[in-house]
Amino acid sequence: MRAVLGLLLLFALLPFLPLGDWRAFVLDVGFFVQVLAALALSWDLVARTGQLSLAHGAFFGLGAYGVGLLAPELGTLPALLLGALLAGLSALLLGAVALRLHGLYFAIASLAFSEVLRTLALKLPFAGGPIGLPVPPALGGAWPLAPYFLGLGVLLLAVALSLWAERGAFGLAQAATRQSEAVARVLGVRVVRVKLLSLFLGSLTAGLAGGVYGMKTLFLNPYDAFSLARAVEALVIPIFGGLYSTLGPLLGGVLLVSLEQALRLWIQEGYLVVYGGILVLAILFLPKGLLGLLGGRRG
Amino acid sequence: MRKVWLLIGLLGMAWAQTQVKVGVLLPLSGPSSVSGKAALNGIQLAADEVNAQGKVRLELVVADDGTDPAKAVPALTKLLTVDRVNVVIGGLASGVTFALSGTVKQYQPLFLAIGAASSVVEQAFEGYPLFFHYHPWDYHNVAAALQFFRYLAQAHGAKKVAILYEDGPFGSAGIKVYQEQLKNLGYQVQAEPFKTGSGQFTPVLTRFKAFAPDILYWIGYDVDALPIAAQARQVGLRPKLIYGAPPSWPIGFEKNPLSQDVAGMTAWLPTVSNTASRRFVEAYRKKYGEVTEEYMAPMGYVIVKSLAQAVERAGSAQKERIAEALAGLRMDTPFGPLSFKPSDTGKTRYQGFGPEVWFQFQYIQGTRRPVFPKEKATVPFRYPGEYYLR
Amino acid sequence: MELFLQTLLNGLLMAGVYALVATGLALSLGVVGIVNFAHGEFLMLGAYLSYLLFALWGLDPLLSLGLAFAAAFAVGGLTYYGLIRPVLKAPELNQMLLTFGLSVILQNLALLLFGADTRVVAPPYQAATLTLGPFFLGAVPFGAFLLSAGLLLLLQAFFTRSRLGLAMRAVAQNRLAPGLLGIEAEGVYLLAFGLAAALAGAAGVMLSVMLYASPTVGFLFTLKSFAIVALAGLGNLKGVFPAALVLALAEALVSTYVPGGGGWVEAVFFLVLFLALVGRSRRAL
Repeated sequence: MRAVLGLLLLFALLPFLPLGDWRAFVLDVGFFVQVLAALALSWDLVARTGQLSLAHGAFFGLGAYGVGLLAPELGTLPALLLGALLAGLSALLLGAVALRLHGLYFAIASLAFSEVLRTLALKLPFAGGPIGLPVPPALGGAWPLAPYFLGLGVLLLAVALSLWAERGAFGLAQAATRQSEAVARVLGVRVVRVKLLSLFLGSLTAGLAGGVYGMKTLFLNPYDAFSLARAVEALVIPIFGGLYSTLGPLLGGVLLVSLEQALRLWIQEGYLVVYGGILVLAILFLPKGLLGLLGGRRG
Repeated sequence: MRKVWLLIGLLGMAWAQTQVKVGVLLPLSGPSSVSGKAALNGIQLAADEVNAQGKVRLELVVADDGTDPAKAVPALTKLLTVDRVNVVIGGLASGVTFALSGTVKQYQPLFLAIGAASSVVEQAFEGYPLFFHYHPWDYHNVAAALQFFRYLAQAHGAKKVAILYEDGPFGSAGIKVYQEQLKNLGYQVQAEPFKTGSGQFTPVLTRFKAFAPDILYWIGYDVDALPIAAQARQVGLRPKLIYGAPPSWPIGFEKNPLSQDVAGMTAWLPTVSNTASRRFVEAYRKKYGEVTEEYMAPMGYVIVKSLAQAVERAGSAQKERIAEALAGLRMDTPFGPLSFKPSDTGKTRYQGFGPEVWFQFQYIQGTRRPVFPKEKATVPFRYPGEYYLR
Repeated sequence: MELFLQTLLNGLLMAGVYALVATGLALSLGVVGIVNFAHGEFLMLGAYLSYLLFALWGLDPLLSLGLAFAAAFAVGGLTYYGLIRPVLKAPELNQMLLTFGLSVILQNLALLLFGADTRVVAPPYQAATLTLGPFFLGAVPFGAFLLSAGLLLLLQAFFTRSRLGLAMRAVAQNRLAPGLLGIEAEGVYLLAFGLAAALAGAAGVMLSVMLYASPTVGFLFTLKSFAIVALAGLGNLKGVFPAALVLALAEALVSTYVPGGGGWVEAVFFLVLFLALVGRSRRAL
């Protein structure tokens, strides 16, 4: 808990620290860390019920497309919320249809779902088609730090949701559902509701993260916004950091995303070989993720 | 003793030198890395030559944009704020370049765009005063290809075009315009999208058979070149011309008999015989021990050379002065003469090359030869191609 | 009618290669219990091997087939010993991350060694065509289909006739029982994982002739293989070919009969998969 708050405080104070020449760069990296950590947390929230989502890239993309399409009409914040809602509704659809699929079957079904959505984004004429969609900068672009603080807001929301779930009865219900749905039912857990709510909340935050991402990159195309690579990133970070927790995905996001940026600066060519090597070593020697390093305090 | 003289000489040169730190942001990994690495080779070659001459000293700071907005934006920010460069060469892939526009407008560097042909990029940089775009815009590419199609209709009586286009931004950007314009030229057109790299053209090509096109025109990537050529034969489709428009071609394709008479469009080949091109090829071979076929290599080379000339004329490292000198520059390049003028749409002020740099080539017995327009052709255009005559 | 039959034929030929790649995946999933994200990289290995042998010594890819099979088997075996064995009992998600990391390493090593360029081979039969009455058959796709079918039949015989094969099937059906029956699970795992990689390696050689070699050549096929394996039922080896056939036919029909269908192929492929998965989960209740 203290570590979580400490990290959040660091993000909040980052723009005010005397970072000298590196300030703008650190803030840019910090922005992407926030967005991807929020995405990872939102994935973990869903994973806690045993649903392995490979559709988080698509939820992210829906949020981003929502912003790209609606922000010119409605302004930044309403567009952000509606985009996230769009992601949430699509997740409910997926959840309702694929309710009885488990583990890898759910993963493949969600992958298929996300590929279909991407094709739709590619084919719907109002979504800019294959050429892509320009996104207006956050709050009219008047304030360069706006995306950073929007990112911070999304991260705070993701952390708050995750902590709420982790500490309350909902988290127990999630864990019971993950371990055995049949047993959970016997224990009086309303499995369907727990799964759908987790999926809805998880995709909502993923959509928000995508929306903020779009406001920073200013341009979306279906191959980038709905990419499978992002869905995989959303699951790599929590596993690396430590599953089914708040600190794990957060810490994993901070380390993994900054590590990738740093490796790219230092090594340049072939830096991904080292990145992949670190992932493999982490699994071999830290089976519980980074949290294992901290002494495995959680139950 | 000679060492002392050399030292004095060097000191004297340093005194008269204008030093400029140049940020280079290219896709060295990710989908566009073939072009990105070629461009970097050209850039480094030119920087070596410039620094050896001694009047201008260019210090390159190279960064990888990963062909990914999430990596490109922080990388550019670092170049502009940590390395404090005032001049940036970059912007190869269109989507990434669009994402960079926010950061560019915030820190206002002199931005020399090497690629980014999509006209959405032009909108993104509309009104930005320090944007120099060397590469032709996509509407220039369309114009150049259409000129070829007009020739095919008039000189060879071609009437039907079957178009295969990849369904990403590269293949789909100009497709509507193409179809309309081809119809205006009197062509019958059928167009089908495909997914690049999937290698599954048999069903679509089978369908094209009933249409019996004179020209099979495909817009995709290097991965699609061989499957299209092979599968067209396998299904018994016999177009008189196979004409492809990928950004680069596969390695080894020229040695493949299936490439015989396949046509394509490029802005440069090592066999282009103007003086600047010959000089470039020779210098490139000396430094890297091989010849490149990627036109992005001379493109990078040209950008650095023109920048160095502008710096020399401006006699200053100040970006506004350099931009001013660059705007008035005229030079001979491997692509032909370069000078900057407002773009056709009027949205940006400094456009380098236009449709005139493009030309058509054919794979003929293991090499690519310019065949159209006539003034650039080194061998006669072969129509119908070998795949029809078989 | 002719077009329809030709379309079916096109779909059938494609299903062969799909099934070959997917069978390897089903083996590692069914027998070893590992979701191998690096499966496509074994395929890439085969494709590059075929390219290199062709480019350096002009070796015909047909001859590279056996070599690629053996080389990929060795790499698969090593991977099993070095990386998979330590995590056999780890949670599924950890195994997935491990194989994902391996896939990142292999793909980027290829990028370092060969660059991102697409590379092609040129054997003399590359575009050869067989005509059967009004129908056209590409010799290479047809050959690849026959080879795939042959390999799969061999595998089938191995599973039903040989002791080792029976042991493997036993492990696939129940992870505990073989131990009780005194079957050495270790060796079975090693063999299965090696065999899975070897099948991908052989498929890679075929794809180098039909398509190209590049660092990402395996990716698209892995994605589709996952879909096929899921449709067949995870670990169900017999279901792989029918599943591959269903998906390949759906693809061929859409891209032949739907105008602009080439852009919808992927969507249809995954839509069919999605509906099948969901439908089956409903019926199961």
